[in-house]
Amino acid sequence: MSVTTNPANFSSLERIKPGLEKRKETKYRMVLMIDTTIKQIGKQIAEELLHSGGNPAGFELIDTTGMHISHCVGCNYCWLKTPGVCAIKDDYEPILKKMNEAGQVWLISDTHFGFVSYQTKNIVDRVMPLVTMYLKVKDGQMRHVMRYDHQPDIGIIYTGEGDQAYLERWCQRTALNLGSRSLGVFPAEHRKEAVSCML
Amino acid sequence: MHVVIINGSPRVQKYSNTEKIIASFAKGLSEKGASFETYAISNRKSWEMIREAYIKNEEILIALPLYVECIPGLLLEFLETLPKKDEHTRLSFLLQSGFAEGCQLRCGEEFLTKLPEYLGVRYGGCLVKGDNFGIRILDEAKQEQVTKPYQAMGELFAEGDGFFREEAKKFTGPEYFSLPMRLMLQFVFKTFAKKMFQKAAASLGCNTPLDEKIWETNSGCRE
Repeated sequence: MSVTTNPANFSSLERIKPGLEKRKETKYRMVLMIDTTIKQIGKQIAEELLHSGGNPAGFELIDTTGMHISHCVGCNYCWLKTPGVCAIKDDYEPILKKMNEAGQVWLISDTHFGFVSYQTKNIVDRVMPLVTMYLKVKDGQMRHVMRYDHQPDIGIIYTGEGDQAYLERWCQRTALNLGSRSLGVFPAEHRKEAVSCML
Repeated sequence: MHVVIINGSPRVQKYSNTEKIIASFAKGLSEKGASFETYAISNRKSWEMIREAYIKNEEILIALPLYVECIPGLLLEFLETLPKKDEHTRLSFLLQSGFAEGCQLRCGEEFLTKLPEYLGVRYGGCLVKGDNFGIRILDEAKQEQVTKPYQAMGELFAEGDGFFREEAKKFTGPEYFSLPMRLMLQFVFKTFAKKMFQKAAASLGCNTPLDEKIWETNSGCRE
């Protein structure tokens, strides 16, 4: 949303609706990391974030080890039968609720075929409850109308032989679908750069 | 030619749009004297059988729906279980999506062009086509009608050039919609389409507004 990035707009909006923008600011600045890596590298990244002073709005690390997270089965229930609610009852819903409240979502993933692991892709495939069935045309392309007003930006930190250029393209397209922005894609060795984006 | 066709959709076969597309495509193969066998990854119990077919055969076609700009997570998981083969095997793709314009499928297509190399096999091209969301809600006769164009693509594939011919590239349709078309769509989306979706939802027993902010009730964030 442009008003939160342009200070001039921000102050004018505050004059019109005092309090509104402020509430959004504090509510949606949390950094969420979702770690599906086998080596559980999220812990290290969280520690580095703390050492760098941490994000003032806080951060949360979800390590998916041992969690039951199914793939999306494409039933469309979250669009047409129980709008906003996934039909699969497993450990995913609390993660999605956190994503919905975060300012930044970092996917920490191993890579296969140059792409994120299926564990991470499953987490992304299942964001559809945040999206509605309704359609619109935006920037010349069809898009779904989002269910909520706030959308988190998305970034990737990966281990292994990721296809950097492709991951960047995919992350940007994914963010475009959610009406947000890509925070960038970083190999685990360069995680310091990613951490500096979280501050 | 004998083609192993794998339905890469995670949706149960009965409601799978990809399944309907494959049926029409396979009809085209038969018309031209090619034979085929079909599998679906939605049932994990069949994975061992699909792997065997993949190992034994040299002409493989994976048909799949676009899931968040790439391939579905379940298909990704299945692919991780495949052994490496060599370039005697050709792997082609049929990528379909709900969004209608060609530009929506290009990110997914790029992944598929690179995938065969990771598996050690040869790339046979990717047929790209959007506007398939509604197939599942149509009656049988209508389903046959809207999937009919895929039959011609089956016939083309049977001629042996994968999806590299001009006809296959043109099959995608417009890359972007023209401005008048977009304005018309915008109008339809804001009016009839909403009603149509709400009606489809009602037939599933849903009376909640489709854009209900289910997690925001009483939170005061509805501005």
